Amino acid sequence: MINPIIQKSIEEASQVVGKTWPLYSFVTSNPLSGYEGMPFKNAVNQARKFLNANVFPETNLFRQAWEKGEIDEKVLLELLKENQLLESPEYYLKQMATYKKSDATNNHHDLDRIMAKWLAAFMDEGLAEWEMPNKSEGFYSAWRKLAVYDTDLPKMTIGEIPKTNTEALNEVLNGYSAADFTKIFTYHLAALPGWTGYINYRSKSNSQWQQEYPITLEDYLAVRLWIAQKIGAEIYPEGNDSLTISSLSSLQYIWLKAWEKSWQKELINVLDNQQISSSTAKKEEQVPDAQLVFCIDTRSELIRRHVESKGHYETFGYAGFFGIAMDYESLKDGLTRKSCPPILNSAYHVSEVPQVSHTEKAQAYKQSNDVSNFKEYFLKRMKNMLPSAFGYVEGAGFFYGMSLIARTLMPGYLYRLNNKNRADYEAVFEPQIRNTCTTEQAHITIPLEEKVAIVKGAFDLMGWEKLAPLVLFIGHGSHSANNPFGSSLDCGACAASPGRHNARMLAKIANIPKVRQALKENHNIEIPNSTIFIGGEHNTTTDAILLFDSEIPDSHKEQLQKLKLDLLKTQQTATQERLGVANNSVSFANKKANNWGETRPEWGLAKNAGFIVGPRELTKNNNLDGRCFLHSYNWETDKSGKALEAIMQGPMVVTQWINNHYYFSTVDNEVFGGGSKITHNITGKFAVVQGNGGDIKMGLPLQSVKQSDEEMYHQPLRLSVIINAPLKRVSEILERNEHLKNLLDNEWIYLMVMDPLDGNKIQHYQQNLNWDSTSQKSNTNNVVEMMTT
Amino acid sequence: MILKNHLSLFVNKITNYLLWLLFLGNLTYLIYNFPNVPEWYYGNVLKINGFTILIWTLVTFFSAIISSYGKNYLKGFEYHSKFSLLCLGFTFSIMIFVMSNHVSLLLTMWLLMGIFMSQLIGVDSRWGEAREASKFALKYFVAGSLFLGAGVLLLAFQTEAFTLSEIISKLSDVPQSITLIAGLCIITAAIIQSAIYPFHRWLLSAMTAPTPASALMHAGFVNGSGILLALFSTVLFASNTLIILFIIGGLTAVIAQFTKLLQVNVKQKLACSTIAQMGFMIMQCGLGFFNAAVVHLLLHGFYKAYLFLSAGEEIGHSKPQKPTPIKIKPLQAIIVLFFGILGAFLFAYLTGKGTELNSSIFLTLIVAITVGQATYNIVKEQSLNLFQKSFLPPLLFVSGMVTYALIYKGVTVLMSDMPMVVVPLSLSVFEIAFGILFLAGFFIMKLGVYRNYPWLYAKLLNISQPYKKTVLMYKSKSL
Repeated sequence: MINPIIQKSIEEASQVVGKTWPLYSFVTSNPLSGYEGMPFKNAVNQARKFLNANVFPETNLFRQAWEKGEIDEKVLLELLKENQLLESPEYYLKQMATYKKSDATNNHHDLDRIMAKWLAAFMDEGLAEWEMPNKSEGFYSAWRKLAVYDTDLPKMTIGEIPKTNTEALNEVLNGYSAADFTKIFTYHLAALPGWTGYINYRSKSNSQWQQEYPITLEDYLAVRLWIAQKIGAEIYPEGNDSLTISSLSSLQYIWLKAWEKSWQKELINVLDNQQISSSTAKKEEQVPDAQLVFCIDTRSELIRRHVESKGHYETFGYAGFFGIAMDYESLKDGLTRKSCPPILNSAYHVSEVPQVSHTEKAQAYKQSNDVSNFKEYFLKRMKNMLPSAFGYVEGAGFFYGMSLIARTLMPGYLYRLNNKNRADYEAVFEPQIRNTCTTEQAHITIPLEEKVAIVKGAFDLMGWEKLAPLVLFIGHGSHSANNPFGSSLDCGACAASPGRHNARMLAKIANIPKVRQALKENHNIEIPNSTIFIGGEHNTTTDAILLFDSEIPDSHKEQLQKLKLDLLKTQQTATQERLGVANNSVSFANKKANNWGETRPEWGLAKNAGFIVGPRELTKNNNLDGRCFLHSYNWETDKSGKALEAIMQGPMVVTQWINNHYYFSTVDNEVFGGGSKITHNITGKFAVVQGNGGDIKMGLPLQSVKQSDEEMYHQPLRLSVIINAPLKRVSEILERNEHLKNLLDNEWIYLMVMDPLDGNKIQHYQQNLNWDSTSQKSNTNNVVEMMTT
Repeated sequence: MILKNHLSLFVNKITNYLLWLLFLGNLTYLIYNFPNVPEWYYGNVLKINGFTILIWTLVTFFSAIISSYGKNYLKGFEYHSKFSLLCLGFTFSIMIFVMSNHVSLLLTMWLLMGIFMSQLIGVDSRWGEAREASKFALKYFVAGSLFLGAGVLLLAFQTEAFTLSEIISKLSDVPQSITLIAGLCIITAAIIQSAIYPFHRWLLSAMTAPTPASALMHAGFVNGSGILLALFSTVLFASNTLIILFIIGGLTAVIAQFTKLLQVNVKQKLACSTIAQMGFMIMQCGLGFFNAAVVHLLLHGFYKAYLFLSAGEEIGHSKPQKPTPIKIKPLQAIIVLFFGILGAFLFAYLTGKGTELNSSIFLTLIVAITVGQATYNIVKEQSLNLFQKSFLPPLLFVSGMVTYALIYKGVTVLMSDMPMVVVPLSLSVFEIAFGILFLAGFFIMKLGVYRNYPWLYAKLLNISQPYKKTVLMYKSKSL
C-alpha cells in the first residue's frame, strides 16, 4: 500500500495539473481548473510560478487593443488613478514593454527528455504498429523492464530498480521530511504539464486505453524521481517559495480590467438601446413560418441574424446537446463517444437502427463502410511491411503525385465532389435511445416519462409560448482538412462532437404522438398537430445548414422547400459577412473547409467575451460580432426559477470553461495553448508535440487565437454574463449554489443582471452577493494588496 | 507592420508564380523534346541533357506544390517570406547542381543545398530547439560536402581535369587505389545526405522545420544522393564499390523499416520510412540500376511529400487492439503464390528487369512479394465479395505496374546518354544473402516475431531518438 502521507501530498500537488484532453475530443476547459477554488489573481500567480507562464495579456496585445480603441481611456485612467498611478497610459505601455519573456536553458533537460520518451512510448494510442512491451502491466512495471536497456541511464541491473512504484517513491523520498513532499511533487508534476494532464485525463475518464494500459500520477512520479536520483538531477527544488509580485503584474491586471470594463460598457450600451424597441407586446405577433433552435455557441449569433433576415423566422439559443445527456455510438467505427457537456454524466446511450423502409440501403451502407475500413488497414499493412513497402511506393507513387496536385490546387472542387452524399447516413438510419446502465440489449428504449422530461426541458429553458409548423433543432459541426484540432471546432456542449445526432434525437422524440399527448395532459404544454420537429446541423466552416428531413410528411414538404431556399440564401450572406468577401463567398468557404494547407479554416469560438441569458428581443437588432453566447430565457414563464438555475449550473459553467481556455491559450500560447500549428508533430494519435518531441500541448494552437504571430484575434477577456431576470431570483440561485457564487467571488467571470422588475436596469455583481448599479465603480483599488497576500 | 506584411505577401506570391512557371516550362520542354532532349553545353561549366531537365521538372514541381501549400499554411508566420526565399534558394541550388559540369560549381551547389536546408530546419530562429537542430544538421551537411570535395578533387587533380565529363572519360587512367578512395568519399557524402544509418540522426531531429519544409526535405533533399550517385556511377563501377552501396543500403532498409514500427510521432515515423526507402534506393544503385534508383526517388518524393503534407490527419479515436494472429488457408496460399508469380512475370515483361539471371532478379523478387502481400490481405478480408477478391488484386497491381513501367521506361530513355547507369551485375552471394534476409524480414514482420524481444524494442527506440539538444532543451521564463 502506498504511504498515506505520500498519497495525500500527491493529491495536493496534482492541483497544478490541469486536464489535457485528447485532440479527438478536444474539450476547451480551464487549464487552471485545479485552482478554481482560489481567487483568479492568486490562481494565476501560482500558475505563473510553477509553469513559468505568462498569465496576463502581453504588452503588444494591450497596445493593439489600446490603438484600436478597445480600451476606454476614461475607464483606464480612473482605474490607474485608484491605484495611485498617475502617468499617461502610453507611459505604462512603455513600462510594461520593457519586460520581455526570455529563454533559459532547461536545467532538468535530461530528466524531462527521458520522461517524455517513455511517456510517449507508453501512452501511444495505436500510432505505432509495435507497441511498448509489457504495457498491460502498467507504466511503472513496463518501464522498469525496459529501463535496463535505456542508454540514457547509467548501466544497471533490473534488481536495482524497485519492484513497485510505492517502493521506488519510498526509496527516493527517504531522507526528505513529509512536509517537503508536496513541494517536490508539485515541481515534478509541473515540469511536463501536458503529459501529466493527460495522465490525469486518463485516470479520471478511465478510457479504454487506461483500462487496458493503466498509468497513474504515482507511476509517473516514481519513475521520474527514481531516474532523477540515478542521473543526479534535482529532486528537491531549490529557490524561494514566496510569491513575489512584480509591479508589472498589478499594472497588467489594471489594464486587463480596464479592457474588460470597456467591453462591458459597450455591450450594455447596445442592450440599452435595444430595450426601447423590445417593449412591444409580443403576444400579438403572428406565428412565425419556422422556428430554429441553435446552440448557444458564439458562432450561432451571426447565422441567427442572417436566418432571421431571410423571412418570418424566429430563432432560439439552447445548449447544443439539446438537453439529452447522452453517449453516441457511431456506426462508422463502432466507437461510443460522449455527446453532452463533460460536466454531466451521460444517462443515455444513442445508437442507430435502419429506418423501416431502408433496410437494404442500410446493409449497403455497412458493406461500403467495412470496405473503406479495410482500405485503411490495407494501406497501412502495405506501407509497414517489409519489403512490400518498397514495391508499394513504386506502384502507388504516381497516384500520390496526382493527389498532391488535386489536393493543393482544387480543394473546393474536391469538397463538392465528396460532399454530395453527406446526409446519406441520416437518411437511412434513425437514432434510438436507451439508458446507459441497461445492458447491451438493443431495442429497449427509455420510459415515456423520461422522453417527456427531455422535451419539457427544452420548453422550460427556452420559454416557448407558441410553436411554428416547422421547428428545427440545429446542432453544429465543423469541416476542416488535415487539422489535428478539428474537434476543437465542433460543439463544445457535445464534448467536442458535432451536435447533429442530439438534434435528430430530440426531434424524433418530440414527434412521438404519445410524448405530445403526455405533455399536454401532465404538463399543460400543447404542441399543435401541425407542428413537426426536424433535426439539422449548421456547418460552421461553410455556414451550410443541413436538414435531416427524410421522414417528413408530404404536408410539410412545400414549406420546408421554401425554408431550404432561404437557408441557401442565408449561407450566401452569412459567409459574405464572416469571411469579408463580396463574391463567391460560399466557394471560398468550401475551399477553406477542405484545403489541407489551411491552418485557419474558421475561427471557432475566438472573440467570445459575453454570455447573454434572455429573450432574443434583447439582441435581435444588433450585430454582436459573434462575441456572445446566447441562451434563450423567458423570465415570465419560469416562475420557480428552476430553468434559470439549470442554465446557470450548466451552460454558464461550460461557457466559463471555454472562455478561460481561450483566455489562457491567448496569454501564453506556448504553455497553455498549442503553439504554432506549422511545426506540430502528432504523437500517439491523440496529441501534438512541437518539433522533435517533448511535452504534449494542452490547448488551442496559435492559429485559433491569433491573426498572425504578432497580431491579436481573440481578445483575452474574462466572461461577462448578463441575465435578464429579477435580481432576487438570481441572488437566490447563487445562495443555493456555492460553487457558482465562488466563481463570481473569485472573479473567474463577471455577472450582470438586467432586472425586468426594475426597469431593466443593469446591476453588477460585487463580492458576496452585493450588487452595484453604478457599475463603473470598480473594486480594483486594492489590487496590489490582494495580489500580494 | 503593415508594410512588412505587404512585402511578405508580395515575396510569397512572386515565388509561387515563378515556381509554377518554371515547372510548367520544364514540363512542356520535356514533353516537347521527348525522347531526344538535346544536349547543351556552356563552356566547360554547364551541361544540360534529358536527365537535367527531368530533375528540374521534378524539383520545381515539389517547390511549386510546397509554395502553394505554404501560402495558406504559413499565413501569419513571422518568417514566411524568409521561408519562401530559402525554398527558392534551395530549388536553384539543386537545379544548378544537376547542370554543373565544372567541379567547383558542383561542389559549391552541393554545399549550398545543405546550407539552405539547414536554414529551413531552423527557419524559426526565435526557437532554441530549432536553432540547435539547424546547427546539428549543418554539421552533417558540411561533413558531407567535405567528403564529396575530397573525393571529387582527388579525381580532378589526378586526371588534371576539372569538369565532370572529362574526369569520367579519363577515369581508366586513374590508379585503382585512388578511385577506391574517391568512390568511398562519394559514397559517404551520399549516405550522409540520405540519412542512411549511422548518419540518420540529423533527419530524425529535423522536425523543427515547418511541415512544408519537411515535405521538401523528404521529397527533394534526402534523395539528392540518388542524383549524385547516378552522376558518378562510372566512378563507383571503376572503384568496385557497388557492393558497399548494396550492403549499406540493404541493412538500412531492413533496420529502418523495423524502427518505423515503434515510432509514436507521426513525423518521426515518416522519417524512418524515408530512411528505409533511401536504403532501398541506394541498394538499387548497388545493383547497378541507377535508372531504377532515379525512378524510386521520384515516386518516393510524391509519396512522402503527400504524407507529410497530410500529417495532420493522424489524430483518431480508436480502441486498443491486440495483433491478430496470421493464418492462411491452403487455397489462399495458392492464390497468393499464383498472383505473386504472375506479378513477377508481368513486371519482368513490362520493365525488362528479371528476364535474365542477374541482379535485376532481386528487384523482381520484391515486386513478387509485394503483389503476394497485397493479394493475401485482399483474399482474407471478409467484407469483400468473391468478385472483388478476384478482380481487386490484378486491378491494383496491373495499374501500379503499368504506371511504374511507363515512368521507368521514360526515365531510362532520358538517362540513356549517361554512361553506366543501367548495368545489371551478375548475381553474387551477397545478392542472394540479401534476398534471403528480405524474405526472413518479411516473415518476421508478418508473424510479429519481433514482439517477443523487448531489448530489441529498447535498442531501436534509442537509436531513433532525436539529438538531445533539440528536445526540451530550453524553457521560457515567465515575466
